[in-house]
Amino acid sequence: MNYILRRIGFYLVAAWASLTLNFFLPRLMPGDPGDAIMARMQGRLTPETVDAMRQAYGLSDDPVIVQYLRYLGNLAQGQLGVSISAFPSPVTDIIFQGLVWTVLLGTTATVISFAIGSVLGMTGAWKRGSKVDSVMPPLVIFVGSFPYFWLATVALFYLSFQWGVFPLRHAYNDTLSPAFSLEFLLSVLYHLFLPALTIIVVSIGGWLLGMRNTMISTLAEDYVTMAEAKGLPQRRVMFQYAARNALLPNMTAFGMSLGFILGGALFTEVVFAYPGLGYQLITAVRALDYPLMQGLFLMITFAVLIANLIVDLLYVRMDPRVRAS
Amino acid sequence: MLTHQSIHDVIQDFEQGKIDRRALMRRAAALGVSGTALAAMLGVGAVPMRTVAAAAAQDDTAGLLTTNNEQQGTWIRNFNPLLPENASCRWPTLHGIYESLGVWNAATAELVPRLASEWAFSADNLTLTFTLRDGVTWSDGTPFTANDVAFTWKLFKENDALPGNGARVVIDRIDAIEATNDTTVAFTFNEVYTIGLYDVAGQVIVPEHIWKDVADPVTEVNENPVGTGPFTEVARFENQIWELHANPNYWDEGKPAIKGLRLPAFPSNDAINLATINGELDWTANFIPDIESTFVAKDPENFHYWFPPLGSDVMLYLNTTMAPFDNVDVRKAISMALNREQMCDIAMFGYTHPADATGLSDAYASVKDETAAKAEWVTFNVDKANEMLDAAGLTKDGDVRKTADGKAMEYELNVVSGWSDWVQSCDIMARNLADVGIKVTVKPYDQTTWQTRVQNGDFTMSIGWSSGGPTVVNYYRGVMSSITWNEIGTSSSENWHRFKSEEADKLLTEFASTSDEAEQKQVAVKLQQLFADQAPAVPLFPGPQWGEFVTTRFEGFPSEDNPYAVLSTYDNTRGIVLTTVTPKGA
Repeated sequence: MNYILRRIGFYLVAAWASLTLNFFLPRLMPGDPGDAIMARMQGRLTPETVDAMRQAYGLSDDPVIVQYLRYLGNLAQGQLGVSISAFPSPVTDIIFQGLVWTVLLGTTATVISFAIGSVLGMTGAWKRGSKVDSVMPPLVIFVGSFPYFWLATVALFYLSFQWGVFPLRHAYNDTLSPAFSLEFLLSVLYHLFLPALTIIVVSIGGWLLGMRNTMISTLAEDYVTMAEAKGLPQRRVMFQYAARNALLPNMTAFGMSLGFILGGALFTEVVFAYPGLGYQLITAVRALDYPLMQGLFLMITFAVLIANLIVDLLYVRMDPRVRAS
Repeated sequence: MLTHQSIHDVIQDFEQGKIDRRALMRRAAALGVSGTALAAMLGVGAVPMRTVAAAAAQDDTAGLLTTNNEQQGTWIRNFNPLLPENASCRWPTLHGIYESLGVWNAATAELVPRLASEWAFSADNLTLTFTLRDGVTWSDGTPFTANDVAFTWKLFKENDALPGNGARVVIDRIDAIEATNDTTVAFTFNEVYTIGLYDVAGQVIVPEHIWKDVADPVTEVNENPVGTGPFTEVARFENQIWELHANPNYWDEGKPAIKGLRLPAFPSNDAINLATINGELDWTANFIPDIESTFVAKDPENFHYWFPPLGSDVMLYLNTTMAPFDNVDVRKAISMALNREQMCDIAMFGYTHPADATGLSDAYASVKDETAAKAEWVTFNVDKANEMLDAAGLTKDGDVRKTADGKAMEYELNVVSGWSDWVQSCDIMARNLADVGIKVTVKPYDQTTWQTRVQNGDFTMSIGWSSGGPTVVNYYRGVMSSITWNEIGTSSSENWHRFKSEEADKLLTEFASTSDEAEQKQVAVKLQQLFADQAPAVPLFPGPQWGEFVTTRFEGFPSEDNPYAVLSTYDNTRGIVLTTVTPKGA
């Protein structure tokens, strides 16, 4: 219980620190949103219009500390403010728009990548020198070391553009509207396949190697030798004794990456024109959209913190040593 | 790699009886062609596969014209036409749902009547009276009257933060806006400012009976718009696509001829280019490198483009507050060192031509002064450039010249990173200037950073756009008047190079104080001569107006042979294009 309380206390401090960074970091960028909108419209706006927009954005000239306190006050009331790049839509509306697709794409890719990577790493370590073990690690490292942007673009160009096997863009067919029909769900899966596949291909190596390495050191532990000496079935030794313990470090990393999902798979969403949060984040940064940047960063940091907290709590169940201390 | 040709070969084999239907299906599937697409192709023979596949996929969307202009990851619902396009509302709000009194057509150089049928200045040029079109109704059935116009302008009087698309520019020069009867509205200026006509005419009008209940027009998102325009029905709005269908009661009988617009979201230029080359976009406006072979060659019958150099000139700005750029001879010498032909051929793929010494693009052809245009300092002449730099006291010391106070002439040339046509132009300029002893390093900045730097005057040399509009005032005000001039460090939307001339100020006021076109032309000539004499900034080439269209489904787009409007999804004439195009064969 003490452990849990301490963890929660730590997370509260971390949350406050990230809130503060979220406020100050965007404001360190050069320029102001008025310049940014002029840049975006490439001079097609008159100076008078831009001045009016500056006024409309309601950017305050108060001292930064006053703005900071007001920001904390608004957050306490759950107000994230109004976007500048999509003025005057509320930040919460904009985030909500892309959230579903980002969560779908990110979760699918991360879970599949984690599951396949861990199983391959586990079996590879169990049967060292086997075919799986000698082929898979070099292969996934080779594929994973291509720059993601390049890999995704090539996949899109050949698989979608040249050969037409997969769709060129979007989360579902443009002729359909969201509905709980088989046709729509199939369309979503079809559009999800290639973006998710590219993420899995580049990220699987990390899981595989992490799992393989800890599994190897776990297999050298006395209790594994003991279990084998007792004559327990191989399968039981592998899963219950070795894999269960070897999985712990990977679980921490998995929790982190689940949190980071909300940041949006930036490149994936841009290359495959997938309507998630990634592109919103780019737009927000380019437009110096402070409220939207704050909203997105806030969500990302909180998601990472919460995911970590959950992993910490799960640890209590998975690792008896934590409970004892 | 599999191409269109291979599927055609397969079909040909089938038609000539070399293979049976099952083999055909199998091979087609291997080529990634669906059964439906194949079935459609069997009937049509020569039509390229991609076009057919796209048509087959669009069963539900027949009659809808697919178009785009901006990069946007997801659509956010906002139809407030008093906020700037792309930043808040989407362009079909301004040129589809709502309308202005008139629209400036840069292709024909005329103000085209929309909600107003005619207009006139009073004898003293202080009162501008618009006569409104008869029989116009809002899309909810309420009649459109002069009160709607007066009401819209009242919103601008009452809300300083309301940007609008014309009204904000002239609102402080207008004392009163009065609806004298249902079809007449009069604008009274507090000083003679005849070019305000274009700004007044360009402002879109909103319905009084709806907007009088809007609490704050600046933060209104207007989810369910009521307008007078050719397209008013928002048929669907999802974050990756939206559709805007035609207004069944549009005042221009029989128009629009198309069922509506379809706007998919594209988050990057690459995504837009793929869709364009695929023939999925009926109408778009992109810079496409080497367009003849990358786009037109895919289907020469149907894939077309028109890039008229009607956009304002792309300029080389030299910070005139710094020596030696405060010296007109140095600016002219630098200009003569530049090989504009090469920039146009290589960086711009031959889409445009070198600028002349007036700085005016082809959009001002009717007022251009031939003598000023032919001033010597825009012709490529390295010897003359060297001579002039020597004469200015910038002596050569080794490869690099030195200024009077002994500093080497080494400068940074700012450009927006990733804008390949500009970056390449800058590379050419850097080489050109090295030949006359000026060492220039091309410095790419992120778009917003670049913008902040030029606006604050925080640069030595920068490539950049210039302002354009219906009259020469729009351009010259931005390059040489004290109206747009600001101290270094104060943000300035135009006049980044900080140049002002009393003579220019006088001429600009003179231009705006008459409504007589012949008189205006005389002043325009004087402005051109002044620019050619002073070289406040260095014009490089007129910016092409990008525009591509596909005639598989629709026809009647503006083109070089039929230049009734500008073919660009960024231009004011979008509404004219959309009410002129027709479904193919209709």
